[in-house]
Amino acid sequence: MYDLIGNLWLGMGVAVTPTNVMLCLVGALVGTLIGVLPGIGSLATIAMLLPITFGLPPVGALIMLAGIYYGAQYGGSTTSILVNIPGESSSVVTCLDGHQMARQGRAGPALAIAAIGSFFAGCVATVLVAALGAPLTSVALLFGPAEYFSLMCLGLIFAVVLAKGSVPKALTMVLMGLLLSMIGSDLETGAERMTWGVPELSDGIGFVVVGMGMFGFGEILRNLEQPGTREIVQAKVTGLMPTLPDLKAAAGAIGRGTVLGSMLGILPGGGSIIASFAAYTFENRISKHPERFGRGAIEGVAAPESANNAAAQTAFIPLLTLGIPPNPVMALMVGAMTIHGIVPGPQVMTKQPELFWGMIASMWIGNLMLVVINLPMVGIWVRLLRVPYRHLFPMIVIFCCIGIYSLNNAPFDVSMTAIFGIVGYWLVKHDFEPAPMILGFVLGPLMEENLRRAMLIARGDASVFVTRPISATLLGIAFVLLVLAVLPSIRGKRDEVFTE
Amino acid sequence: MSDATPSGDWSRTAAARRKYNLVGGSILAVVGLVLFTTSFLLQNPVPLTVRAAIIIFIAVGIAISAGLLRVQNPQDVYGGMALILLALTAFVASNDLPGMRGFAFGPGTAPRLFAFTLAILSLGVVVGGLLTAGPDVSGYKIRGVVFIIGSILAFAATIRPLGLVIASFSCMVICAAAAEDVKWRETIIVAAVVTAFCAVLFPYGLNLPFQLWPRFW
Repeated sequence: MYDLIGNLWLGMGVAVTPTNVMLCLVGALVGTLIGVLPGIGSLATIAMLLPITFGLPPVGALIMLAGIYYGAQYGGSTTSILVNIPGESSSVVTCLDGHQMARQGRAGPALAIAAIGSFFAGCVATVLVAALGAPLTSVALLFGPAEYFSLMCLGLIFAVVLAKGSVPKALTMVLMGLLLSMIGSDLETGAERMTWGVPELSDGIGFVVVGMGMFGFGEILRNLEQPGTREIVQAKVTGLMPTLPDLKAAAGAIGRGTVLGSMLGILPGGGSIIASFAAYTFENRISKHPERFGRGAIEGVAAPESANNAAAQTAFIPLLTLGIPPNPVMALMVGAMTIHGIVPGPQVMTKQPELFWGMIASMWIGNLMLVVINLPMVGIWVRLLRVPYRHLFPMIVIFCCIGIYSLNNAPFDVSMTAIFGIVGYWLVKHDFEPAPMILGFVLGPLMEENLRRAMLIARGDASVFVTRPISATLLGIAFVLLVLAVLPSIRGKRDEVFTE
Repeated sequence: MSDATPSGDWSRTAAARRKYNLVGGSILAVVGLVLFTTSFLLQNPVPLTVRAAIIIFIAVGIAISAGLLRVQNPQDVYGGMALILLALTAFVASNDLPGMRGFAFGPGTAPRLFAFTLAILSLGVVVGGLLTAGPDVSGYKIRGVVFIIGSILAFAATIRPLGLVIASFSCMVICAAAAEDVKWRETIIVAAVVTAFCAVLFPYGLNLPFQLWPRFW
């Protein structure tokens, strides 16, 4: 306990220097700005703004990126509530009740509860990251290649099970991601793999290229297909503060959402989208009046918003301790860290304590800033949303293009992104979910490396994955999850066949 | 990832469906044929099993286009077929890479392992799509695809020789044409403003090495 406080104190010392506070503020502000815009997720935001941080010192750069990350997370909820468009995929469920509240003239309390819930979840998650960081680092030492491989399998299975739609199709997506990640030079032998002799491919396909193409451009192509009507809540947002009964109703939901979100955030493959869905469903299940959900229940805003924020932060735990990015955004963080010469993993905490703890402390400061900047600025965000989509998407496209180009100064990357835009659009048309693919793509190289190492150490004996206890447990959980997910779909299919 | 999934109740008439299968099956067969030809151009001969799989793939493509196979769930059948094609392509592409050496993985082991699993799973998806009914693939918005992708490619082609100002302006104008309710006067103004903003922000504000104007200036 004393250590924890001491460490956080050290972190605070780093985080509250004027430059770092400024960077955190700029990050949170820009993140919110982009999060508010539908069509650009936190992934594309970080990719776009990554070049900005090149000139900064490592701590400052990471603080700013983290600020962007949860800023985008929070900005997404504002649009959900006010215009019924999730600015961010993790705030899809916030639309359900948040927008209903806004239509009943309670946009203020909805926004305030979202902010308060996020802030509370952020505080808890920050402490959790600080508290779990050190013990988990020692767990990381128990992890050999076999365990890492199994952990990543578990993460991928999680992503598959929790993705909507059919399980086999989600599995194919994971494998597609793994396969695409194999393109480029082999890490051990340096052999060119599946590049068809194209020199630009020898470094592999950039993660940003795939992510931005599939989510950024793919999303725009889809949005153009259905020119949805946008109903903006025109009424002035008045009466920001929630009433006492509101707070009472929301308090439990915030607490449960935080706990659920924190747990799901730690698991690889989890992440904030799943956390928000899970929290909403959970609230709905345990509620005494489930019929209120979807008609402006304040719990329906409080639970998912606190859950997604908690998950967004605890997702840093596997990254900072095990060096495994649990979701695509964290994978981008790995990229950012590598650019600044930091290798994510257990050694960060011991070798660069001020970086580790500075970042954790800045998370808390960032959350505080979000509450402070967002509530007074709601009006500005609403005005931003009145920009018609026909002007918005060319801006998104050009910023994405410039962002991708500036990563390597390579026009080839930009063209590749266009191709992945088509691929993403095509996949969604065929009801394949791109999210598991991205995770497979991110984890692919790490998985292969650990698989190879594990097999080499075990002298080609594949049973090593089930004879080592930790690895066997992880694989066992993955297997059970998969079976549980597949069972109802088989039964469902059978029912279909029988009714015919 | 988002809730913008294509509407599930999109359906075609029987005649339109036949035409869709004719075109779709033919495309699969042709691409399969290209892959088959490519497999003869490699240094090492492609294993017989892979070649047989490609031939079967082409045959299935022809059967779909001829209407011999009843495509009950077009989304699953075409999606799965495309993924099988990807897996077969990966087999051909990783053919010249050495595999296992003793108990050590070679560079080709993991790609082939993943490709094999992908092929099997996709096969399951295809078979499922042949047996159980599902929604049609909704129509493509060709206008959006052409202009958006065109604008991105235009940016890629012009950024080096012509600089940021021309590249981003032309990209935005081409891109705006993707919307059906495009208003040219507004678009030109927005494009000019955003271009000016980018021209200040990226090279000066963020200190990135962007070339603003054409090289020959």
